[in-house]
Amino acid sequence: MLKKSVLLLSSLLISSSLSAHTLWVVPSHYVLSKPDSWIAVDASAANMTFVPDKGIGLNALKLYLPDGSVKPVTDVYQGKRKSMADVQLGGDGTYRIELANPLRFFTSYELNGERKRLMVNKQERTAQLPQGAANVETVQIRSRNFAYVTVNGPTNTVVKVRGEGLELSSETHPADAVAGEKLSFVFNLDGKPQAGVKGVLSYAGELYRNEAGRVDFETAADGSFSFTPQHAGRYLIEASYSADSATALADKVRESVTYTFEVALP
Amino acid sequence: MRLTSAILVVCFSAILTCGVEAAPHEIAVQLPEIETSQYHRPYVAVWVEDAQQQPVRLIALWVEKPDWLKDLRRFWRKIGRSNTALVDAVSGATQKPGTYTLQWDGKDDQGQSLADGQYHLLIEAAREQGGRSLVKQEFMLPAKGAVIDIAADGELGDITARLH
Repeated sequence: MLKKSVLLLSSLLISSSLSAHTLWVVPSHYVLSKPDSWIAVDASAANMTFVPDKGIGLNALKLYLPDGSVKPVTDVYQGKRKSMADVQLGGDGTYRIELANPLRFFTSYELNGERKRLMVNKQERTAQLPQGAANVETVQIRSRNFAYVTVNGPTNTVVKVRGEGLELSSETHPADAVAGEKLSFVFNLDGKPQAGVKGVLSYAGELYRNEAGRVDFETAADGSFSFTPQHAGRYLIEASYSADSATALADKVRESVTYTFEVALP
Repeated sequence: MRLTSAILVVCFSAILTCGVEAAPHEIAVQLPEIETSQYHRPYVAVWVEDAQQQPVRLIALWVEKPDWLKDLRRFWRKIGRSNTALVDAVSGATQKPGTYTLQWDGKDDQGQSLADGQYHLLIEAAREQGGRSLVKQEFMLPAKGAVIDIAADGELGDITARLH
């Protein structure tokens, strides 16, 4: 048990040391015209959009099939700069490739002026906090990093909002994003449009232009964020939402997503 | 593929027979000679969209393997990805550089005459290890003998459409 918490804690430390980095999942193909195709999926934690920086573990990488079923991805390799997975798709429809951290709880406190942390929720913490712990706070954390890949005709089963945590929805199917056409997203928290979700939109090629062209946004009252991509290419949306929302298990909630997608030529 | 060609010949003769009643529209598409060390014949799609950018008629499709159909980006999004039967019915082999005259009876994919109004003629070409070109030209029906000329650019040579 102790070993497990140490492991969890160290993985958390790794992710917090990468906190300046953005973790993204990028398939080699977003659109395919042949069933049973293989795709390569790259994942990295990086500062510059789609310029790999640090490889990350892909043990939790999952493939959601067009019928909604889930398949773990087992052909993975973790490199220094990026990690890669080989994924074979099946028949027609839209697939979701996702690297997600399940719900985690993280309690921080001060003891004799030192900041410390525990991987426990609000209920578990009472038993584990040392005498004299001050400024105790438990945060519920969840992150999802995903992309959609479509073989032949697009489908909606794995694109639909599931109603848990922070999710994106759009009237435009991921396979229908086209340069010069407006794209609108709605950010949902637990299935409801959420205002105040903060994010950054960026696109590939930052290394080769002076103006990165990043767009900082915050969702409106209806949870929406819209923009018109000027260029065809690969885009990244990273967004997060934090709120004081006292529940039985946490004092705060922090949800984050990164979503990569392709904007096609008109 | 031989079967597809046979079907194509049948279709063309059917169109020619119809032509006795109403002259078909003729679309002359040129595929340019391109000097390169690795020349592959382009994938080409010719179709008509209505004023709402919805496809109404696939006139020609020259392709080889399904793997690369997606590279005809607009064709793939508008028609190819969701209408396999139409793709199978219309597709024929890729063509070498030259000028090809296509005939269109003015009807939609279901064989119905198109309503009067605004339409677009679209021609898209994508070449392996080469570029991709798309032309989109507005026209009206009834066409009243309109002639559309599109200058050569990229993967597509001169295009002339004579509408009746």
